[in-house]
Amino acid sequence: MIRISALESYHPIVLFVFFASCILFTMFFMHPVYLAISLISSTLLLGKLVGLRKLFKTLLYILPIFILIAISNPIFSHKGVTPLFYINYNPITLESILYGIAMATMIVSIMLWFRCYNLVMTSDKFICLFGNIIPTLALIISITLRLIPKLKDQIKQISNSQRTLGMYIDTGSILERIRSGIRILSILITWALENGIDTADSMKARGYGLKGRTTFSIFKFDKRDGIILGIILLLVSINILGEVYGYSSFYYYPYVKNMDFSVMTITFNLSYFLLLIFPTIIEIKEDLKWRSLISKI
Amino acid sequence: MSTKLKIRTSMKNITISITTVLLIIPIVILVGVKLLNDRKYNLISFIIAFLACIPFLARFENRRPQPREILCISVMSALSVAGRLIFVMLPGFKPVTAITAITGIAFGPEAGFLTGALSAIVSNIYYGQGPWTPFQMLSWGILGFIAGVLAKFNLMENKVVLTLYGIFSGILFSLMMDIWFVLSIDGLFTWKRYYIAIIGAIPFTIVYCVSNVVFLLLLSKPIGEKLERIKLKYGLMQD
Repeated sequence: MIRISALESYHPIVLFVFFASCILFTMFFMHPVYLAISLISSTLLLGKLVGLRKLFKTLLYILPIFILIAISNPIFSHKGVTPLFYINYNPITLESILYGIAMATMIVSIMLWFRCYNLVMTSDKFICLFGNIIPTLALIISITLRLIPKLKDQIKQISNSQRTLGMYIDTGSILERIRSGIRILSILITWALENGIDTADSMKARGYGLKGRTTFSIFKFDKRDGIILGIILLLVSINILGEVYGYSSFYYYPYVKNMDFSVMTITFNLSYFLLLIFPTIIEIKEDLKWRSLISKI
Repeated sequence: MSTKLKIRTSMKNITISITTVLLIIPIVILVGVKLLNDRKYNLISFIIAFLACIPFLARFENRRPQPREILCISVMSALSVAGRLIFVMLPGFKPVTAITAITGIAFGPEAGFLTGALSAIVSNIYYGQGPWTPFQMLSWGILGFIAGVLAKFNLMENKVVLTLYGIFSGILFSLMMDIWFVLSIDGLFTWKRYYIAIIGAIPFTIVYCVSNVVFLLLLSKPIGEKLERIKLKYGLMQD
């Protein structure tokens, strides 16, 4: 039996607030502990969403990016007070190496968070979210999304019929391919525009844009969403407070700031960890519930 | 739409544009410089690129456009995304800029901007959203807008101008994406790194330029005629 991920059953606003704060905080906090937390929780969430095999595949493809960024910083930047060795009379400093690693961690975490975002925030959620604020633009995005598979089918039909006339897009010289590609595009455009006008007239006939028309939305904001959103917002404000009081600030140049492990710092670190790990906890909790329910059948 | 309402919406549009461009963007830069010690270029530029699109989008939203207009812009964006699928066997060859420009030429600067920005959002829903989305929205949007403005002066009928525009747009798109690349390395912007990124991206820039010029020269007349015909037949976009 397959179960859709627990996260997907939440209201789009809850998910959007979570991912927006996650990604912005990750871009914002350069503190090594914060970066480590972000990297670990994004990896865990992605692993939970796609499974271990796909996670390893993603990590394998992200690793070279990590190395590239981590190496390129000390090569380009010679700031810092602790030179380790020299290349062409340019000092390679400890600070720039550490900063490179921190930056690479940040970029990779953001990539992982966006990967999770793409999995959870499907296009219908995206449209629901913006349908009330920007109804026309949300409608335009939704129509465009619908048109693409339609056009794909039409491309197939057109190229099949062109094949019977002796036009092949996948053989011949580059110039011939471009020419037959453009011929298909031209046929497609005439069809798509006429079809689009038909749709528009049909929309108008059904009263699009008249007063009192509402937009349909399948998502309902219930009590459970409210509770989760409240917890997320609370954790977000605690973390902003931590930043205001300087618990999450850090510097790498000219020398690396000393790490401090006071109770307050650890409390703020924990609140950050709690915020980022939250969706993973929800997923695991639902997983356990699902398993226990299945075992009872 | 009555004249009074028209004046009111246009005033509202101007207010939104002015507040975004003159107020919010400087505030974001100021916050970046003061609070973040001038170090968070990547976050700030990500936000600014997004904010820069807002005046255009808000203007369109407030105008309450007719379904035919909505459909025309959707169709053109869907075509530019689907166009990538037709030419998938020629890597780097993307008709997105050309189709955006042609829409701008036929339907005006605003439609050009929307088609470009929309193509960026929608194609990234397919290929994955990322911090680069606002940069692509802004680059393609501005390119469509420029094409529309040039067409107002009847310049785009000239093959030489069209070719120059194709090269210019390839370079501009590449330069914008290089900014994003430099910022993604360590959040700081240095000219030295930017030059290196530009030099490293030259092969891509050339492919962009060549594909833009090829598509513009080959497509602008046939597609332009089709759009003009639709405009005439259904009385679209006549303001």
